[in-house]
Amino acid sequence: MVIHFGEIEVTDKKYPKVLKEAFKNLIDSQGPKKLYYKGDFSDEIFKNCLSVVGSRHLTTYGRKATEQIVSQVALAGVTIVSGFMYGGDEAAHSATVKCGGRTIAVMPCGINRIHPENQVKLYNEILEKKGLIISEYEGSAQPQNYTYVQRDRIVAGLSKAVLVTEAALNSGSLITASYAKKFGKKIFALPGQITSEVSKGTLKLIKEGAEPVTDAKDILDFYKIKPSDAVNVSNNFSKQVATKAIFGGKGLEQKIFEQLKREPMKVDDMARLFFIPIAELGTILTMMQLKGFINQEGDKYFIN
Amino acid sequence: MLIKVPSIANLGLETIKVDVEVNVASRGLPGFDIVGLADKAVAESKDRVRTAILSSEIDFPQKKITVNMAPADIPKEGSMYDLPIAVGILSNVINFTIPEKSLFLGELSLDGSLRHTKGAFLMALFAKEFGFENLFVPKDSANEAACIKGLKVFPIESLVQICEHMTGQKDIKPVVYRKSEEYFYSKAEFDMKEVLGQEQAKRAMEIAAAGGHNIIMVGSPGSGKTMLARALPGILPPLNEVESLEVTKIFSASGDIPPGGSLITQRQFRSPHHTASLAGLVGGGSKPQPGEISLAHRGVLFLDEFNEFPRSIMEAMRQPLEDGYLTISRAKQRVIYPADFMLVASANPCPCGYAMHPKKACTCSQNQIAKYQKRISGPILDRIDLHIGVMPVDIEEFKGNQQASQFLEPSDKIRDRVASARKLQQARFADEGIHCNSQMKNSDIKKYCKLLPEVEQILRQASLKFNLSARSYMKVIKVARTISDLDNSKEIMANHMAEALQYKPRTYESA
Repeated sequence: MVIHFGEIEVTDKKYPKVLKEAFKNLIDSQGPKKLYYKGDFSDEIFKNCLSVVGSRHLTTYGRKATEQIVSQVALAGVTIVSGFMYGGDEAAHSATVKCGGRTIAVMPCGINRIHPENQVKLYNEILEKKGLIISEYEGSAQPQNYTYVQRDRIVAGLSKAVLVTEAALNSGSLITASYAKKFGKKIFALPGQITSEVSKGTLKLIKEGAEPVTDAKDILDFYKIKPSDAVNVSNNFSKQVATKAIFGGKGLEQKIFEQLKREPMKVDDMARLFFIPIAELGTILTMMQLKGFINQEGDKYFIN
Repeated sequence: MLIKVPSIANLGLETIKVDVEVNVASRGLPGFDIVGLADKAVAESKDRVRTAILSSEIDFPQKKITVNMAPADIPKEGSMYDLPIAVGILSNVINFTIPEKSLFLGELSLDGSLRHTKGAFLMALFAKEFGFENLFVPKDSANEAACIKGLKVFPIESLVQICEHMTGQKDIKPVVYRKSEEYFYSKAEFDMKEVLGQEQAKRAMEIAAAGGHNIIMVGSPGSGKTMLARALPGILPPLNEVESLEVTKIFSASGDIPPGGSLITQRQFRSPHHTASLAGLVGGGSKPQPGEISLAHRGVLFLDEFNEFPRSIMEAMRQPLEDGYLTISRAKQRVIYPADFMLVASANPCPCGYAMHPKKACTCSQNQIAKYQKRISGPILDRIDLHIGVMPVDIEEFKGNQQASQFLEPSDKIRDRVASARKLQQARFADEGIHCNSQMKNSDIKKYCKLLPEVEQILRQASLKFNLSARSYMKVIKVARTISDLDNSKEIMANHMAEALQYKPRTYESA
């Protein structure tokens, strides 16, 4: 595979129009004068972009929701833009490359540096799937505190809309959202539980007028794209319905399955809820895991 | 006149005979010398012996006194030679003979009384083996020596008393041998029923106790890891006679048997702090002493905040975790201390501790978490059979909740199951020289854990799904064996295997 390298001046014809427009009427901030890139720099990739940002401490719920929504949006042909940080950004990039979509990673460091280093695999996958890596910094410059914020303005500027999956108050994701507001872009936010620290930011956005997202359709409607049939098959929700049809487990398995559908749970809580000895419950959970009905992440069980 | 007073020297857990030769010469300038590779404590015994004899209102001979400790090429240490030296001198002054087949050991106080001295139990074992009959030991150490049958143990309070005994004025009554019929259960700080919630963690503790498995608990601060560990001694099976003797030997060597104490009849629960030194933890020193891991022999070594322990200490524990003993080699000597313990480790998931917490936000970066978790070395994790996550419990949930409270089982009920599972294992491994499932080597697993086809099928499936390593694969079988023992089942059934898979190694992420 040949990877293209290059740099684009702001005066260049190829410079993304959407980015130029974003800074057009602003006095207090400026767009990047020069963009360094790796990968497939074409007009087409910038046509329909959605920025997806989220907390570095993404919860399992956040990750699942990101996967569910982003993969459908990406499959419909929208480019997913994010900041390549671990957590929310990484989840958005991963979900996109997994379903074969295109994604743009905006780096807070020099173009030749992979940051964070342990995401090399994802970095290569983005390029393989005809994605793009861009940065306004040359060489292998180290990321600094301010470059993360500078990066956020490009993430917000490249897209028509921003989706914030999870964010704590005072987080980088909210900075991206505030840039989007400044640029007059649409803001989507993923609703979460009011008790979750990383949902406080997104709930605040919703209060301030961001559109809550419960389905990929909410976003695709904004882009005026109809979800294709292929998308529907990959729809996680319909997969769950299908699983239920085949499931037909025995009494207790069924009860556990129904409970987990409502809410992921810890094993201890389930033991108390159903009043089953922990040894027996452990056996059932392992078997359900082996059959592929449920999954364990951290300390909680989820349905697949 | 030359008198030989027999005593012993303890090199680690090995005991050799030492003859304390006391010569009180009429010729020559008055003086008092000790030769025979004596260390500082032995050399100082000169002053203690002289003063103690004077305090006992006995004349100290104004003659040339030479004490030699034979064999002269073995280093002698400690204060235990005070009594043999004093007895040697006194036999000159008062003129009595040393009874045959006797051994002497004890530290003197300046007022002529005797103090508790370490090593009395080791001396008794040595006496039994080599046909000595009379043991003269300080009163406080007499119970310790009297644990061995067929010996006359004379408890000595003071120098005057031993003189009276030797000259036949007033005999000292030997301590009667008491067989410790009762092997007691260990006492725990908490009862398991006081630990609210944590059903899975408690079950894992039960399995660990039953099979002697090492266990690691990962969870946020305040989730109850330490409480669970401190409740563990209450569900441990009682020590048996052989084990009890092994543990008492180590304690006698390290001087950890209290004055008046005798056999150690409870499993030990040691919880050294993470600032402990290498020598303190695994044993060592220029004269190798047993460390915490040896004191935890046949018991529990609880390492709280496992990630905080220095790498060097963790690596040093690898050999004992594998072999059940530790060899400490020094230029002058090599000592083997048994260290067959059950490791209970607890750790936070990240530096701030809240990565798994349901309510509090974690403030650590991914890098920090990865670094933190890497502090526990892979080879050590490989030797831990049970891995569990411990989540904080909402106490409110238990207030007035009958159903939840019914789950709380008292420790003694759990302990009965554990003890009977242990009995099954002891019967099974009678010829193998091991006594619990955790000690099984791969060959033992093949022999004693034959898997039914459907059970093996589950394990195969699981190892594909969960990416189990070869070592984890074996560990799951061992744990399944223990679960089936708890269930009093001859075969490992499918449900045992499925439950064992609950405790496989896993990664800890945010909830």
